[in-house]
Amino acid sequence: MKYSRTRMAIAIAGALALTSTLVACGDDKKDSAADANAAVTLNVVGLLPGAKPEAQKALADEVADFQKENPKITVKTKDYEWKATTFAADLAGGTLPTVFEIPFTDAKTLIANGQIADMQSSLSTLSYAGNFNKNLLQYGQGPDGHTYAIPAKSVYAIGLHYNRDLFTSAGLDPNKPPTTWDEVRSAAKAIATKNPGVAGFAQMAKDATGGWQLTVDTYARGGRLEDGKKATLTNDATKASLQFLKDMRWTDNSMGANFDYDWTGINQAFAAGKVGMYTSGQDVYTSLVQTNNINPKQYGLTMIPLTGSDAGVLGGGTMAAVAKTATANEKAAAVKWIDYHYLRKYTNQDAAKKNAEIQVASKQPVGTPELPIFSQQQYQTYQDWIKSYVNVPLDQMTSFTTKVFDAKLVNEPAIATQDVYKSLDTVVQAVLTDKNADIDKLLTDANAKAQRAIDSAG
Amino acid sequence: MTGQHQAREGKSTMTVTNPTGRRDAGLAAASAWGQTPGGAGPAGSPKAVRLRKRRKSNFEGGRGYVSEKDWRTPRVRFTMRTLHTVLLALLLVVGVGPMLLLAKFAITPTQDIIRTPLAIFPHGVALSNISIAWNEVQIRLYFMNTIWLAIGSWFVQMVVATTGGYVLSVLRPAWGKIVNGLVIATLFVPSVVLLVPLYLTVLNPPVIGTSLINNFLAVWLPAGASAFNVVLMTRFFDGLPREVFEAAKVDGASSFRLFWSVVLPMSKPILGVVSVFALITSWKDFLWPMLVLKDPTKQPLSVRLPAIASQTDLGVFLAALAISTLIPVIFFIAFQRLFLSGAGLGGAVKG
Amino acid sequence: MSAPGALRPTGNHQPGTDRRPRRRSLATWVQRGGLSSVLFALPVLIIFGVFSWWPIVRSIVMSFQKTNLIGTPTWVGWKNFEFVLTDPDLPKAILNTLYFALLALVFGYPLPLVTAVLISSVRRRKGLYSVLAYLPVVVPPVVAVLLWKFFYDGAPDGVFNTILGYVGLGPYAWLSDQSLAMPSLVLEATWAAAGGTVIIYLAALLSVPDELYDAAEVDGAGIWRRVWHVSMPQLRGVLLITFILQIIGTVQVFLEPYLFTGGGPAGATLTVLLMIYDYAFGRSLGGNYGAATALSVLLATFLAILSLVYFKLTSGWSKS
Repeated sequence: MKYSRTRMAIAIAGALALTSTLVACGDDKKDSAADANAAVTLNVVGLLPGAKPEAQKALADEVADFQKENPKITVKTKDYEWKATTFAADLAGGTLPTVFEIPFTDAKTLIANGQIADMQSSLSTLSYAGNFNKNLLQYGQGPDGHTYAIPAKSVYAIGLHYNRDLFTSAGLDPNKPPTTWDEVRSAAKAIATKNPGVAGFAQMAKDATGGWQLTVDTYARGGRLEDGKKATLTNDATKASLQFLKDMRWTDNSMGANFDYDWTGINQAFAAGKVGMYTSGQDVYTSLVQTNNINPKQYGLTMIPLTGSDAGVLGGGTMAAVAKTATANEKAAAVKWIDYHYLRKYTNQDAAKKNAEIQVASKQPVGTPELPIFSQQQYQTYQDWIKSYVNVPLDQMTSFTTKVFDAKLVNEPAIATQDVYKSLDTVVQAVLTDKNADIDKLLTDANAKAQRAIDSAG
Repeated sequence: MTGQHQAREGKSTMTVTNPTGRRDAGLAAASAWGQTPGGAGPAGSPKAVRLRKRRKSNFEGGRGYVSEKDWRTPRVRFTMRTLHTVLLALLLVVGVGPMLLLAKFAITPTQDIIRTPLAIFPHGVALSNISIAWNEVQIRLYFMNTIWLAIGSWFVQMVVATTGGYVLSVLRPAWGKIVNGLVIATLFVPSVVLLVPLYLTVLNPPVIGTSLINNFLAVWLPAGASAFNVVLMTRFFDGLPREVFEAAKVDGASSFRLFWSVVLPMSKPILGVVSVFALITSWKDFLWPMLVLKDPTKQPLSVRLPAIASQTDLGVFLAALAISTLIPVIFFIAFQRLFLSGAGLGGAVKG
Repeated sequence: MSAPGALRPTGNHQPGTDRRPRRRSLATWVQRGGLSSVLFALPVLIIFGVFSWWPIVRSIVMSFQKTNLIGTPTWVGWKNFEFVLTDPDLPKAILNTLYFALLALVFGYPLPLVTAVLISSVRRRKGLYSVLAYLPVVVPPVVAVLLWKFFYDGAPDGVFNTILGYVGLGPYAWLSDQSLAMPSLVLEATWAAAGGTVIIYLAALLSVPDELYDAAEVDGAGIWRRVWHVSMPQLRGVLLITFILQIIGTVQVFLEPYLFTGGGPAGATLTVLLMIYDYAFGRSLGGNYGAATALSVLLATFLAILSLVYFKLTSGWSKS
């Protein structure tokens, strides 16, 4: 009851374009009016579990700096990895930190279910609240036009990551990564032949990541997986993508022996030099450093090959959301932390430099390419601010960074995203583990499952 | 296989482990127990003695189907000796082999494990694996959590089983039958049914009002609802000589005193057995702690090990596995009699 | 103790011992131990009430409801059951589960029996044999699975592939092969559990009275015939019980498919329990608790029928 009252109050506030929370919250001070002088303890998402001590130190420095700026707020970080298969239990169990991270695709449903807090009024206290890239911001907005989840980090387009050392070992030029799928295939074959036990090309296949990456492949060949409320998994692009995997797996035998990679697993294998190429978000380099101790010299990033007129690069990202149960004080503190930790560096030169300093001091990656959360121009400015701090091998990523802004970005399937992905997991796994897999039949079955998920998502 | 086995005095039953890892004696205890001829009756001191004797005879005595005469026949002796040697070799390879491998991997450099898993220390040993696992990967923390969880679960199970058995067997109030029936009924409900509602109960427990997620109580308390333990205890108390109770009552002993100073001291054998079960079950538990202990710093080894698998250096990870195996194995070697007669008696527990 | 064949509920009273006069006043009730009975029963009542009885009832209720833990649950009739029964994955999960149970019987049923029969004829150091056979059982199951997962590495330099390579076999993909995945799971599960069954059989074998063997020998029965005609009939009851209870146990298999393969590859190791888990806890946008409880109620019903069969069979056996 109190929530709806608050929400109505905020709705009125929003309608009047008022930015002060005090005005909006009227009678319900306890619940809605943040008391700037109250001491707050804020639990937030920290690093991935297993992050190296240096990364932990950089985060601790950030927290200390933030607390100096906000003496009344105590920030507690908690290692966390979002996984499609565990998030629901974490949410239901109330064990998520107050500020947590969700993928773009899940925000709408969480808003509709009333599972995350309305951040409209708190967000509007930030000077740059109006400058968000509208296409990104809309993911986190409810039917009432309010912003619930805030685009925060890891805004990515999918890239093709490759191991430069393995390219060299196979007689390939690491400065000329493949630009077509055929070149990917022959490079994979060359790598696998020259390096027994190494996968020339590897594909995630587990816990919805298989479907995610197959969607990437489909988009890159001009296909789509949903048309409104209709599942279109049986399209030609998806079939071609699967055939491509099948050829590499069974004709060339260039995909190694492990076919149950998930996001962490494939990162680890890649950093350990057991994978020649794989597709994943462009920003994965950060995690490869923080968690997997990758040798920067071996890393290369290029565009995923695009074929067909409608071809696009799948894009996505991470939003910061606040627990529904957060008090007004926590929400106010949360927005300060979101500002400090995720966003301010893009919009404020001093903050950008300070953040870069902290990261560099602990040998954490600075300058990993991302897509702009605000305008592209703003992003370029930010790049200039941190230029002298950049410690990632940007010159090994130029074939990606010079082209990504020209590519068409395509959003992930909008409805029942993770369920659609999971239904495709099965198909990917089948193609990789069964020589005689019938792609058409597998896709027909998966399509039925996906349609069922879309229907029950309403 | 999620079977637990129990045999008693030659006849055996087996129980089913539920997905929450709690013992769910499924049917077994309730039904087979009562009907096992001569079973179910370890009783007061005389029977305890019998139990001890039997333990010895269980694994050493008996001449079995090969008679003394047979043994004197060279052909039989040769055949049997050969079979036994082969069996011993197989048991060593299958039973001990994987653990020796694990012990070797625990101190082998990761690159050697990956490239030449079976070569014997081609590039020396890496004892650092163990210290990294213990300190940096914080195995010691998860280790202590495992121990705390085991101790707490053991305590709750003992309290519930002993008091419950005491009420149902010794005090015998009129309504005891109903309680007894309800307890036994839960043996017939496979615990998978409990998974979701139990989880929701822990999320929002009655009276306490605050979620027990990330609280050890969420593991300790449900562990107590083991009908298997209560049945075991009740059966044992049933076999105690009632005259002793009556005598104590005549002497003016209160119910509590009777329980603490008469019944419990007479029940040491069964307390030992239930304790071993409780500790082992808890050590092996996985799904339930995974669901209710989300905070990594609260998790036991069984939950933590799979979670760190993909982000830990292989050598270090295998060292962590070795550490987690060491304690149960040492425990087993030290108390093998108790374990094996326990396996024969009430059930080696495999979650 | 109890007479053979009599199934008596625990705490069952000997006639006469509990017929106390009806008490009227509270004081007499307390004096007679009524209060202390209640106090001693509290742990059982509270723990079972909250963590067993109530969840069981709630499970049935929830299987007819839709809830997301935030709003009030709504009644949806049989919809959850409909949803579960029309799930395209269900037939596969059922078949896989039965396949697991069947393989577990094929691997795990005769092997412990042969082992136990052999151990029982060892004259000295039976204890050593028993300890060795039982050792895998004390390895924590999660550790066993993770260790075997490493052994099962599909690369040519994986542990098993290296060993098999010595005799010119493989390399096999093990867990990444749709037809090998399930047998691989069962192999590990058998390794981890067979020791317990060996000890049960061994205990049963050793309790066969030597006189029976003597009599058979006098009748001229050789060793093999003594095993077949004396030992085996004595084991019949134990064998029947382990048979049915092993099925009941394996039908609820979760740990192995969850940790080894997560149900893959391509659903080859998806089991019913994995589906229940996935409905309730594996979906990123909120658990379908209705579907999860509906499927568990269905599974429970199936197991109850199995138990009933078991019950009939064992009571038949113990009377004979």
